[in-house]
Amino acid sequence: MLELLWLPFLACLVLSGIHAYLGLHVLTRGVIFVDLALAQVAALGMTTALFLGHAPQDEATYYYALAFTVAGAALFAVTREHREGGQGEGLPQEAIIGIVYAVAAALTVLVLDRVAQGGEQIKQLLVGSILAVTPEEVARIAALYAGIGGLHWLCRRPLLAISLGRPARHVRAWDFFFYLTFGLVVTSSVRIAGVLLVFSYLIVPAVIGAWLASGISRRLFIGWTVAFAVSGVGLAASYLGDLPTGATVVATFGMLLALVGGVRALVAVATQVRRHGVRALATLALVMGALAVLAGLALAAFPRADHLWLDALEDPVPAVQTFFLTPYERQVRIDSAAAIARNAAELRRLRALQAEVQWGTRDLPDEQRERLRQFLQAGDEIVAGDRLVMRTLRQHARERQRYAVGIPLILAGAVLVAVSLRAQRAAVAGAGGGQEEGQHLHV
Amino acid sequence: MLVTLVVAATIHVAATTTDVRELVMAVGGDRVRVETLTDPSQGHHPRELLPRQLTVLAKADLLARVGFDNEPWLPQALRSVRPRARDLDLSKAITPITTETARLRADSRPHIHAFGSPNYWLDPENAHPLTAAILDKLMAISPDHRAAFEQNRSRFLAKVDTAMARWLEQLRPYRGTRVVVGHDAWPYFARRFGLTITATVEEKPGVPPSPKYLATLIDRMRQTGVRVIIADPESPMVLLHRISGATGARVALLVPSVGADPAASDYFTLFEVNVARLLKALTP
Repeated sequence: MLELLWLPFLACLVLSGIHAYLGLHVLTRGVIFVDLALAQVAALGMTTALFLGHAPQDEATYYYALAFTVAGAALFAVTREHREGGQGEGLPQEAIIGIVYAVAAALTVLVLDRVAQGGEQIKQLLVGSILAVTPEEVARIAALYAGIGGLHWLCRRPLLAISLGRPARHVRAWDFFFYLTFGLVVTSSVRIAGVLLVFSYLIVPAVIGAWLASGISRRLFIGWTVAFAVSGVGLAASYLGDLPTGATVVATFGMLLALVGGVRALVAVATQVRRHGVRALATLALVMGALAVLAGLALAAFPRADHLWLDALEDPVPAVQTFFLTPYERQVRIDSAAAIARNAAELRRLRALQAEVQWGTRDLPDEQRERLRQFLQAGDEIVAGDRLVMRTLRQHARERQRYAVGIPLILAGAVLVAVSLRAQRAAVAGAGGGQEEGQHLHV
Repeated sequence: MLVTLVVAATIHVAATTTDVRELVMAVGGDRVRVETLTDPSQGHHPRELLPRQLTVLAKADLLARVGFDNEPWLPQALRSVRPRARDLDLSKAITPITTETARLRADSRPHIHAFGSPNYWLDPENAHPLTAAILDKLMAISPDHRAAFEQNRSRFLAKVDTAMARWLEQLRPYRGTRVVVGHDAWPYFARRFGLTITATVEEKPGVPPSPKYLATLIDRMRQTGVRVIIADPESPMVLLHRISGATGARVALLVPSVGADPAASDYFTLFEVNVARLLKALTP
């Protein structure tokens, strides 16, 4: 197992090192989607190379990608200059970046349409395959990123000054240098990890760093910690949960961001409560009340539609459903659930047997093989039938929950909304009343 | 009757794939003009409708298609042109393979093709029922040319049978060989030529396998000595080569459709190329 995962892990660490740093620049410059645009421009370069008759693995194809990236970098450097010239216009650079992305993607489609072979490889280049990374690839990007990191360290003063919007000389040249090195990094990373993973490594650590600290070096430290931790956790989750690796790491980034954001929100609410008392929770209560009213209305109006919150409640607490079933229906439900568990276990066992036969680690006469095949097909149907019974029972229950649960929920939600609205009005009146009093005195 | 007279000169056929085109041409000969709606080098799944497809559909007398869920883009195209063409769903002519796809995970759901793998043209034996269905439709459109169509068909089938005997003979020593496939595109081909497919690398095209799946696959391949991985142009090649490196199995890049590889330019070279490449990978 480790032989499969240690290379992807190393690759993730190398990505963390450079992307968490570049992400800080990208975030302060406000050019969030520049990496997607440059990756797409590089893909257009590769497609053009294919169109001109080169193979996907050729050196020439790589240089086409590089040349297109340089052109993209120059374009971004120039358009920024333009924006500073006409500050009054206020044209955000994200507009240019978005246009470059869309046009490059469309041109890629147009050129791909004319390419006989290799179109699939281009698509795969943008998706990436972190699990299939080779030692040579990791060594190459490690060396390249170390070089680029060193250059950025040497030129850190002007680069930082420009990113932070402070005055600096030769802005256009430094911008070109920044976008060029950035494009090199993104193009190389996307080949290995795909667009989504590269984007996450770039932005998420930088955002968490910006939330938790001020000052470049502290943010960079937090960013690196976050990226390293997510690499480890994401790869482990991908293995343990039997999930595609790249998508799992991206989802882990998302979950960490949500976690940090949630904690920040909790801290903010706690501060408000400490300052203003329970009234600070009025908005939260208002939202909860409104949601309860909506859920109750939906249940009363469309009992047979999906009510995921009720499903989620019934799974751990079946009584919420069985309370609304007749004794006979209750027994059917118990029998079906038992049958599903039993048949599913039996099917799992037989599938394992079938796999052994297929791999040749176990021998079965042809007749038994055929019986096994037929049994498996029938088994799936039987399980599906029992699931249908469970769903029908759930709908029977829903018809009865319709008013018994729906209407109390609407009422409870309405009360919550009313109470929180009053609390808010009281708070506003308290503040406003104070002002009025002041004015009165003044008069 | 009038319609029949008008179209008797040339029957315009819109074929959804190159493989369908080959079979229609084999029966229709010079009485038909067949145009293909998709490009095999693009994986037969067009990103969006092209104006050319609509023109071809609009003027076609016969729409011949693979069927199953192979042409998800077709309903939209038909809505916009309202063609007068007769419909020929070739999947109705063959007996579909209903075996479950080989799976590593005992609890995973059946794979993405709801109606089974559509690649039934990869069994040359299916040329018999497929050309029979085509013959029926062409005769209905142009009864006058019945004799010509029947003659074309029997000439084509005689050629298929001769070639088939040769292909089977070439692959006979390897009957029962276990192979792993990149995508689930080869059940018909494997059944005809006596290969046993034991696992699929990408169960759902485009969704990469998890590390655990890959580790199990590599372990099983090592234990049972699987020597060949069958790839197609849409397979994740980097991953297949990684598996090949870890297990010593050879990757055989086969061609799933006429024209998907320059070497497979017609119905017969499609199988010639596939048999040759398979033999090369199987020969110790």
